Amino acid sequence: MNTNKLNIKTMKINYLNITKTTKLFVGALFCLSLITSCSSDDDNPPPVNPEEIITNVTLTFTNNADATDIVTLASVAPDGQDGTSTETITGNFTAGATYDLSLAITNASETPADDVLNDDIIPEADEHFFSYAVNNINLTMTRDADDIDGPNGSKLGVNTTWVAGAASTGNVQITLTHEPTATDDTGGFGTPTGGSEDLNITFNNVDIQ
Amino acid sequence: MKQLITAIAIAYSCFSYSQDCTYTFLGELSDFHDGTPIVSATIHITEHDRYIVSDFNGKFKIENLCSGTITLKISHVGCETKVVSYEIDGDTHKSIQIEHHIEELDEISITGESSKKETKTAQETVLKANTLKKYSALNLGEALKEVSGVSSINTGNSIVKPIINGMHSSRLLILNNNVRLQDQEWGIEHAPNIDINSAAQISVIKGSGALAYGGDAIGGVIVVNPNRVIKKDTLYGRTIIGGQSNGRGYNISSTLNKSYSSGWFANIQGSIKQNGDFKAPDYNLTNTGLKSHAFTVNAGKKRFESGFEVFYSYLDNEIGILGASHIGSTFDLGRAINLEQPSLINDFSYDINAPKQEVTHHLAKASYYKRFKNFGKINLQYDYQNNQRFEFDVRIGDRRNIPAVDLKLQTHTFLADINLDANLNRKINFGIMGRFQDNFANPDTGVRRLIPDYEKYDFGAYTTAEWQISDDLIFDAGLRYDFNRIDAKKFYLKSRWEERGYDVDFLNIIIEEFPTQFLTNPVFNFHNISASTGLKYNINDSNQIIFNYSLASRPPNVSELFSDGLHHSAARFELGNLRFDKEIANRLSASYAYNSSKFNLLTEVFYSRINNFIYLRPFDFILTNRGPFPLWQYQQTNAQLFGIDITATYNITDALQWQNKTAFIKGYDLETDLPLIDIPSFNTTNQVTYNNEAWYNFSTSLKSEWVFKQNEFPDFNFEIEDQLTGEMTLIDISTPPPAYHLLHLYSEATFSFTEKSNLKVALGINNLLNTSYRNNLNRLRYFADDLGRNITLQLELNY
Repeated sequence: MNTNKLNIKTMKINYLNITKTTKLFVGALFCLSLITSCSSDDDNPPPVNPEEIITNVTLTFTNNADATDIVTLASVAPDGQDGTSTETITGNFTAGATYDLSLAITNASETPADDVLNDDIIPEADEHFFSYAVNNINLTMTRDADDIDGPNGSKLGVNTTWVAGAASTGNVQITLTHEPTATDDTGGFGTPTGGSEDLNITFNNVDIQ
Repeated sequence: MKQLITAIAIAYSCFSYSQDCTYTFLGELSDFHDGTPIVSATIHITEHDRYIVSDFNGKFKIENLCSGTITLKISHVGCETKVVSYEIDGDTHKSIQIEHHIEELDEISITGESSKKETKTAQETVLKANTLKKYSALNLGEALKEVSGVSSINTGNSIVKPIINGMHSSRLLILNNNVRLQDQEWGIEHAPNIDINSAAQISVIKGSGALAYGGDAIGGVIVVNPNRVIKKDTLYGRTIIGGQSNGRGYNISSTLNKSYSSGWFANIQGSIKQNGDFKAPDYNLTNTGLKSHAFTVNAGKKRFESGFEVFYSYLDNEIGILGASHIGSTFDLGRAINLEQPSLINDFSYDINAPKQEVTHHLAKASYYKRFKNFGKINLQYDYQNNQRFEFDVRIGDRRNIPAVDLKLQTHTFLADINLDANLNRKINFGIMGRFQDNFANPDTGVRRLIPDYEKYDFGAYTTAEWQISDDLIFDAGLRYDFNRIDAKKFYLKSRWEERGYDVDFLNIIIEEFPTQFLTNPVFNFHNISASTGLKYNINDSNQIIFNYSLASRPPNVSELFSDGLHHSAARFELGNLRFDKEIANRLSASYAYNSSKFNLLTEVFYSRINNFIYLRPFDFILTNRGPFPLWQYQQTNAQLFGIDITATYNITDALQWQNKTAFIKGYDLETDLPLIDIPSFNTTNQVTYNNEAWYNFSTSLKSEWVFKQNEFPDFNFEIEDQLTGEMTLIDISTPPPAYHLLHLYSEATFSFTEKSNLKVALGINNLLNTSYRNNLNRLRYFADDLGRNITLQLELNY
């Protein structure tokens, strides 16, 4: 009986100790949560508008002999690689004519639009490579002498000349490869090996009339 | 003369006796935690150099005491020796408490090697320091594969996540020194942030039986504990130095422990490891280097009645990810799968370029405990974790050095629990937990946030009880409630918002509108109940059976709720779903153990049914300016898993031992009848070990590891159209690689210098035959073979 009483008494004393320690702990916890809650204010986070996305890719073919004969292949992807892209074709190639290709690659989600081709790709031409491909359409191409030097002694593929053959309808593809391990531009269109594709756009039903 | 001296002496002693040496001291010894009398304790009266023994009621009597101080040194088998002093100035009665059940109360600390299980009826395996030290140069995920039924899901060879019975990531809890790791564990390419060298013991608990740690461990719990404190005056340390031929790696790890008999202790541990590009049998695995730095310090005071500890650990890992795995489009993925060799192979280098990860993890904790007589023990703990994750992708221009992922996760946790152990036959624990978590996704990456900014609040309360019904039968049960609240600020592209149908269901959570995006404020509350019960029965000395049932609830993680974007390395879009409800798992398990001097067998079977099981599967395509991509979305279904794990050892002779570990598991989606993805295939390892203690404790073992082909897999292959030619190309992402068989050799010997210092030399050859293979559960298996032969040398100096 006596010992029991004694125990209860000691327990009370111990409890006092424990509450003291608990207070300390809770205090420490409170302080720390205060610090974090102060540093992360309740303001809304800013949106991220990706800088390196490509929204607009436009291939403008201009007839050497007739500046009004223009074929435009345009791809628009408002959300860049995060969303759908839509391709539109304006104009037809004229059989037998020769065209200069002018490329435009931009990020229109920024204002003003960011010129990705001239600001990012061309300054790093040694690790980028444009290749082209056609199917069922009589188009041939060559990389111009003044085309920019790309990787491994290949031409980058931004300044090119295209020749439209006999009337036909088919598909035209443009691919931009980042850090290819090998490149071959002997056939004009170009073949990369390895690396990763930053662009792979196909325009269907392009006409030569 | 002689008589005179005797006479004086007698007179003197009479005189002193006549002072007041007539007092009696009556002592009563009882057990601290349950008050039972301590019988046959030895009491040494220091001043008189006399010994007496306590009687059947724990009582003892010392007569003819003079006034002054007496010091009693009380010792008893199984108790800590206790020294008490009293002032005597009259007859005195004292109750003295000593603790007789240190072992049962889990306070024993005789050696650092003692193993202590976390649970009674769960399927638990303990890995001890001797096993863990073999993995000093590797990581937690590799070490855990020592347990039958545990495998890993890898991204290359340095990012290794454990899988327990087919479950990984958010379905596993990992505790580091009683702190639940909060390190963005939802991601498959996020390896646990623990330095294996800081662990002295790891418990692997299959299923959710360890309710004190959390109620959402649908797969299991991994409890990592540092060295236990030895309560004596000692200073000891260990240094491990290792080198590996594959990757030209090295590792150094050192630990120093100081403790005092008063209970004070301090430990410090640090490790450094580095390797360059690994090598598959036929080629270099370019950009697979690793740099890792880690250290741990702790100090405190540990006594039976009370104690405290402060603990801090730091880990910094920089991990290169196979260069050839960087792909831009589905065509790239298709080409990589069809190529024999990775598309990028360079000469060996220690350089780590993008793609790579850089993760730092800080963990600080303070804990305190106190014991109360006839009651039990109260533990209090506060911990803080800071996880900073950078992922660097292959980028162009001046963004090259800006990470694509920059997440900072901070977590504060407060724990309090009470163990009532006054009655050792009926132990009861209860506890509460409060947690606050803040995730910050840095917008400076210039990449849309993969995981949004969020704040998370958790509260949990649990109780567990354990009954020793008879000497051979233990019954346990537990119940836990958890509340989780997640409050996020998430941006959605308007196109995605509509595609997901959120414009109908979640219209009111939009808080701001931007040209192409909505800022939303999703807030979710989850109430979760978990429970566990089981029994353990020792049929006789060599046969034991265990049954366990557990119920676990896991709320969806941030990735399952909020993902919406392109996962580069997988060339797919991954879409979460705000409508998800929690996963609920029911798991039944049974174990049978047979132990004899020659043969030991452990058989563990389980059946698990998971409702609302969340997983990713493809459902559509999207045509982007990088060509077509598959869309994968998280889905909920009902799933079942079942399996058997076997561990057997047979001592052929005293020196020769054979061991087998085998695991077999199946998992199915009950709605589609498809097998679950990422389920380990049947695997079996056989090991023959030769020991010769007389020869510097020499041992050598040959291990055969056989991993079968996974024949049951969900066919998520898809065809993409070559937009140019109209041809369809099959992208075979599902077909598992063929079976493989590897041999590993390991030898060690220990040379003693003095009684306390020795050197252990270990030589290993992994993949002895330099076999080329790919593992189905390595996410980079599409791109390259796994590791070739690796010769490792490790020196371990104990002092």
